[in-house]
Amino acid sequence: MSTDFAVIGKPLRRVDTVARATGRITYGVDVKLPGMLHAKVLRSEQPHARIVRIDYAAALRLPGVKAVVTGADDPGGRFGSRMADQPMMAHEKVRYIGEPVAAVAAVDEETAEEALSLISVEYEPLPAVFDPCEAMRPEAPLIHERMHEYKYWEGWCNPRPGTNIINALVLRKGDIERGFAEAAVVVENTYRTHAIQHVSMEPHACVVQAEADGRITVWSCTQAPYLLRGSLAAALAIPASKVRVIATAVGGGYGGKVRLKLEGPAALLSLKTGRPVKMVHTRTEEFTGAVTRHPSVIRMKTGARDDGTLLACKAEVILDTGAFCEAGEVVLWEVVQATPGPYVVPNVWVDGYCVYTNHVSAGPCRGFGWPQVTWASEGQMDALARELSIDPLEIRLRNAFDEGSISASGEVLHSVGFKECLQRVAEAVNWHKRERRPGRGIGLIGFTKMSMPQTASAAFVKLNEDGRIGLMTSAVDLGQGISTALAQIAAEEVGVTLADIEVAAADTDTTPFDSGAISSRQTFHVGNAVKRAAVDLKQQVLAAAATMLEARPEDLDIRQGHISVRGVPDRAVTLAQIGTATQIRLGQPILGRGSHLDDDVVMPDLATGQSPKPAPYWKYAAQAVEVEVDSETGKIVVQRMVSAHDCGRAINPLSIEGQVQGGAVMGLGFALMEEMIFDEGRVVNPNLMDYRVPTSTDFPDVEAVIVEAPHRDGPFGAKGVGETSTIGAAAAVRSAIADAVGVTINDLPITCEKLLDAIEAREKAEAPAKT
Amino acid sequence: MKYPVTLLVNNESFALELEARKPLLHVLRDELNLTGARRGCESGYCGACTVLLDGQPVHSCSVLAVAAGGKRITTIEGIAVNGQLHPLQEAFIAEGAIQCGYCSPGLILSAKALVDEQSRPDEATVREWLKGNLCRCTGYTKIIRAVLTAAEKMRAGA
Repeated sequence: MSTDFAVIGKPLRRVDTVARATGRITYGVDVKLPGMLHAKVLRSEQPHARIVRIDYAAALRLPGVKAVVTGADDPGGRFGSRMADQPMMAHEKVRYIGEPVAAVAAVDEETAEEALSLISVEYEPLPAVFDPCEAMRPEAPLIHERMHEYKYWEGWCNPRPGTNIINALVLRKGDIERGFAEAAVVVENTYRTHAIQHVSMEPHACVVQAEADGRITVWSCTQAPYLLRGSLAAALAIPASKVRVIATAVGGGYGGKVRLKLEGPAALLSLKTGRPVKMVHTRTEEFTGAVTRHPSVIRMKTGARDDGTLLACKAEVILDTGAFCEAGEVVLWEVVQATPGPYVVPNVWVDGYCVYTNHVSAGPCRGFGWPQVTWASEGQMDALARELSIDPLEIRLRNAFDEGSISASGEVLHSVGFKECLQRVAEAVNWHKRERRPGRGIGLIGFTKMSMPQTASAAFVKLNEDGRIGLMTSAVDLGQGISTALAQIAAEEVGVTLADIEVAAADTDTTPFDSGAISSRQTFHVGNAVKRAAVDLKQQVLAAAATMLEARPEDLDIRQGHISVRGVPDRAVTLAQIGTATQIRLGQPILGRGSHLDDDVVMPDLATGQSPKPAPYWKYAAQAVEVEVDSETGKIVVQRMVSAHDCGRAINPLSIEGQVQGGAVMGLGFALMEEMIFDEGRVVNPNLMDYRVPTSTDFPDVEAVIVEAPHRDGPFGAKGVGETSTIGAAAAVRSAIADAVGVTINDLPITCEKLLDAIEAREKAEAPAKT
Repeated sequence: MKYPVTLLVNNESFALELEARKPLLHVLRDELNLTGARRGCESGYCGACTVLLDGQPVHSCSVLAVAAGGKRITTIEGIAVNGQLHPLQEAFIAEGAIQCGYCSPGLILSAKALVDEQSRPDEATVREWLKGNLCRCTGYTKIIRAVLTAAEKMRAGA
């Protein structure tokens, strides 16, 4: 742990935590404006259908109803992440059960709700498709007939108009056939993962005000104010700076609150009424009208030498992105790059497809495709270990990424704390001397994640007249503690205390550009921008102090808000004196500026997936899970969870532990409890009774282990940590179950039924041998 | 049809005219601006709207406001005394048990009901008492620590 820093590396209390502890903080659901109307959305009851007619005359006659909007009111702009395929409201046809068809603004929510029942929609049903493998077939119903018209970012997408394949990407390295030919053992399996919901405790919420001058002001619990601004402007076909997004406090996001959702219908209603319009998702709408984690089907074939050295990995990855991309095209991009896992594999062949179906859209969800692909790649490592009778830890260490390793895309890797993560977890569970007990098992797995490329951050750091520092970024603190981490970075760099920093909330009119709280990027990207802005501020402060003290800037030190001439402590000024002088007397206010771009990233070649640096950084992790399994009932009890993470440098260890623990439990929920169940496109369990998320009694404490392999490009060496812990849990549970009862489940979630079936199948298979 | 109801919230009395079907949650949030009671699922499963009714935790989305008349209602806004945070609030902050904070008021109030009733709860009891309050951020580890720490401090202070 770092000892030579004054502010970073310390488990400091969060800057905004008293407000959260006392309930005195404004989330999206809390925003209230004078004259505000309340909106409700009528959602499609059809998975795929032409809209023949919408009749809302009766709804408009209901007292208290102020306006109704439909796709006809939508200017027709489409939005998306790297593929703009989505309208704010259904145009001409609906593509999933839950798609917004009409929206009502009324004096209160109850009236708006009642008005929905007075709207009649006539549909002409179209054939629908719900299985991504079926959706890829030539005869499958076409969900986006005009894909060829959609705008997308070159380099990210390979769309196939005339099919349901929105993106098809490859990764090619070495000679895959030779790799398998040289292998002593080859394992091949099919893995499936399911849809889950983010279940942010705060549902999506916003207030939108169409201003008299044509601007649109949005209060939203968004994770990404600038992305929301861009999406809403694109959808409304107006310049981006005509939209102002004011970020409220966010009651949990996990990727679910990245893109435009209910802000669209609310904006159309505000434009129509001239009044502020509020909309809050019900819990049901969170399941039917927000986004999910991409279900996937992954076929993977892996070959190794008899000592466990990996030789070849061939995979086909299919992601079900539902009716719209949301970010499916980018999830696929990461998944394809990720497929071989955090291991050196000389021969790689990956074909990845992101496919439309008539399900509610899948989108960004903590881990962004890596939980799915890790489920497959770690399953292969376990299968190889079994085939070769090699210890699961040993086979991972033998192939693990290390300093200077070359990834599947051809990148030479640096700052790799992966082996240390594996070793620290192994030590924690006493891996080599673990006790064997009937019905008990331990699984130990490793994994990685890269942060998405081509994002940007900027920061302003202001010296106030009282000598305190104002920090302005568009980072969003959705619970991960980024406000505190950024304040720690600024304080460390300037030479003040955490209490000297005030962190402004994101507001696209005043705080600078940021790509948002996505892809575990804020500590790294915004942190770098803040650090550079703080350096800039410090130089300006020293220049001003040098003038005031009649000294050279290089002879000055900043400590605890005092600037003194080195060796002459009496010759000093305070930051307050400089702040007052520069702003009020000299007219030269001090504003430090900084930014971070992924300017050394090279987008992979579309034909091969090769790139010397496809992403700004990789982070590494390992997890061990101990389970107790009842072979008669199939009941699985997690007894222990250890989760180690290479975070580069821990800016705030308390926050990092929290991220690791929370992510791990979300991963355990994904493994063992949570599943959105669909029937012909309809979510049949859209509530928290039928869709169970982990409670305080479901899982034990998570033991968080922090590994620091400082990253040469990170602020003070720091990397992100937000998503990682969610990624491996399911694979670790599967390994532990296999260790306990000798059966392997490759189809998520792991339920008692599946486990009992697997145990029974194994017993049947073994029966002839016994006789 | 509206009915006259007097709600006693955080030791303050409010005379209101309310429709019988109004949940307490909506009245606290919309009429009294006590937004610390959070809107999470509005069906009694998530616990974000937890308040104390005569000291007992209830899901305020599932209690009719007219039925809460005459009872002592405690919300998160009412547990700090003279600007001093409640020991549970202090412990939640110190232990890092608050991430997004949306569930925190409900969890702190459920925990308060527990520590008011039992001064020496063990970990299993804390977990059991809090299972009606979902938290998606923390994985509960630090929350459980915070409640045990607060209970200990309250015993030492008593």
